Amino acid sequence: MTQKNVAAPVPKVQKPKGRIRGEASEGQLAFWLLLPAAVLLCGVLLFPMITTIRDSFFFNKLTEPFNGQPFVGLKNYVQMFNDPRFGTSLRNTLFFAVLTVGGSFLVGIPMALAAHNPSRVRGIARVALLLPWAMPPVMTGLIFAWLFNAQYGVFNDILVRLHIVKEPLLWLSTPGLAVLAMVVTIVWKTSSFVALIVLGGLQGIPRELTEASEVDGASRAQSFFRIILPLLAPSLAVAFIFRSISAVQVFDIPYTFIQQAPAQGLLETLGVYIYRTSIEFLDFGYAATLSVALFAVSLAVTAVYVRFVRDGAST
Amino acid sequence: MSGELAAPERLSAGDRAIRWAGLTALIVGGFFPLIWMLLTSLKTEAELQKFPVQYLPGMLNFANYLRVFTEQPFARFFLNSMAVSLLSTALCIAVAVPAAYALARLNIRGRGLLLTAVVAFSMFPVVSLLVPLFRLFRGLSLLNSYPALILPYAALSLPVAILTLVAFFSAIPRDLEAAAMIDGTSRVGALLRVVLPLSAPGMVTAALLIFVNSWNEFLLALSFNTKLDMRTVSVGVTLYQGEFAFPWPLIAAAVVIATIPVVMLIAVFQRRFVAGLTAGGVKA
Repeated sequence: MTQKNVAAPVPKVQKPKGRIRGEASEGQLAFWLLLPAAVLLCGVLLFPMITTIRDSFFFNKLTEPFNGQPFVGLKNYVQMFNDPRFGTSLRNTLFFAVLTVGGSFLVGIPMALAAHNPSRVRGIARVALLLPWAMPPVMTGLIFAWLFNAQYGVFNDILVRLHIVKEPLLWLSTPGLAVLAMVVTIVWKTSSFVALIVLGGLQGIPRELTEASEVDGASRAQSFFRIILPLLAPSLAVAFIFRSISAVQVFDIPYTFIQQAPAQGLLETLGVYIYRTSIEFLDFGYAATLSVALFAVSLAVTAVYVRFVRDGAST
Repeated sequence: MSGELAAPERLSAGDRAIRWAGLTALIVGGFFPLIWMLLTSLKTEAELQKFPVQYLPGMLNFANYLRVFTEQPFARFFLNSMAVSLLSTALCIAVAVPAAYALARLNIRGRGLLLTAVVAFSMFPVVSLLVPLFRLFRGLSLLNSYPALILPYAALSLPVAILTLVAFFSAIPRDLEAAAMIDGTSRVGALLRVVLPLSAPGMVTAALLIFVNSWNEFLLALSFNTKLDMRTVSVGVTLYQGEFAFPWPLIAAAVVIATIPVVMLIAVFQRRFVAGLTAGGVKA
């Protein structure tokens, strides 16, 4: 302490940022401020994820305790690549991801444009925009399973009344229709998120810009595709990445649909298969291996995102 | 938002029609599923089993709402959800505020890397953490308790909370803080007396996002808290169905009650939600 006081009058290097005497250095302060977050993230997310990666190299079936938990090397991975159910669930996952991410953009962008216009019903429009995003996914699944109900569902009722179909459709028990019903449900639930991100982008575009182009004789469609859409590119990219990550991890809605639909195989996503392997088959080792596969898919999507953010920051 | 004050636009009849069609589709599409659940919940079993469908219930019949509470301990589910969501929101905010302040304001080496790590945490698949967390909580005798859900909920929302708060903290002028510090306030004092009050809207936004995430979570609640007394509403609404029987009016009534808190929050705080979500980088 005394030595420091002696040295103080002749500082060799002047720190660029003024530091107030008697305070901990910024580095120390930052350490203590970041510590709780780091503990929570590492303890509840990182440590379990590392455990999962470790478990994927071990045999661990709760139904066969007599076999112990030996190290099996890559055996679980070999099993995975020879498991037709893994192949099917991965294919389903990617198939649903493509359809529902695409669908959420096709619906979400017009939603954002509709909500962006000033109007007397703006408040109600905003709640309508937020409601699907805020709705619990499980309840969304239940609601739509009821709307698609074969006997008393309102969607069948509307189709019959409009003479689009003669007989009520067996939505959840016909494989192709069950897939369509689930896509519609997920798109309803997730379009809001795309719309909200796009709305944020729209609010950043000065109105004069689109108006000026219209005065110059550009049609509405031209001004949308040539001016607005390019300006929305960053928002669309953010929405795309986050939608893609949550789409490959989808669990709640397929889980509720499968309970109602005999066409199960087509609706089983990788997330649902992992859940069943862990909780229903109690095969923790193999479930860990499947989890690593899902993690790898998510990581690939995130890598694209991080790269996008870096490129965006450097330019 | 600037558009709100713009001069009234001259619009052709066609443009007006398109605009109103868009707004109508948005509002009907957004509200219809929940309104249909509300109508279903007020119908009797006999009114329900008709095709073509009878749209409106004959009379307001609240019997299903009563049965929601008598057939399952739904009040308890609701209380559990409320406690878990509020406590995980409080924990998450308490941890996120100092971290976000450090990331937004202090000179930290590797700040970019830390922010990237925060983003990376937001993409962890919850289902991949199911077994290790299950074993961890079983080891700590935390299964069938509030902390079994509070800890993961707070951690899962932490990246979103930190990113939202970093954006809000960064928007507060540094001069305000510097002025307070010149006046003799410590950095922590400046944080508490200047930065926090100014970023209250940011904290409300972050808290709303965390609360909704926690209220809606299903997978961990389904797997960790299996005792009936410890169930949350998102799992509770699935308990009315039998192997083959789906008592829809009852399920509809349960869904309506379970969504009331979320609907009320978005109706009251719609601007905050839109501001928080349009800021970008929030998980769907």
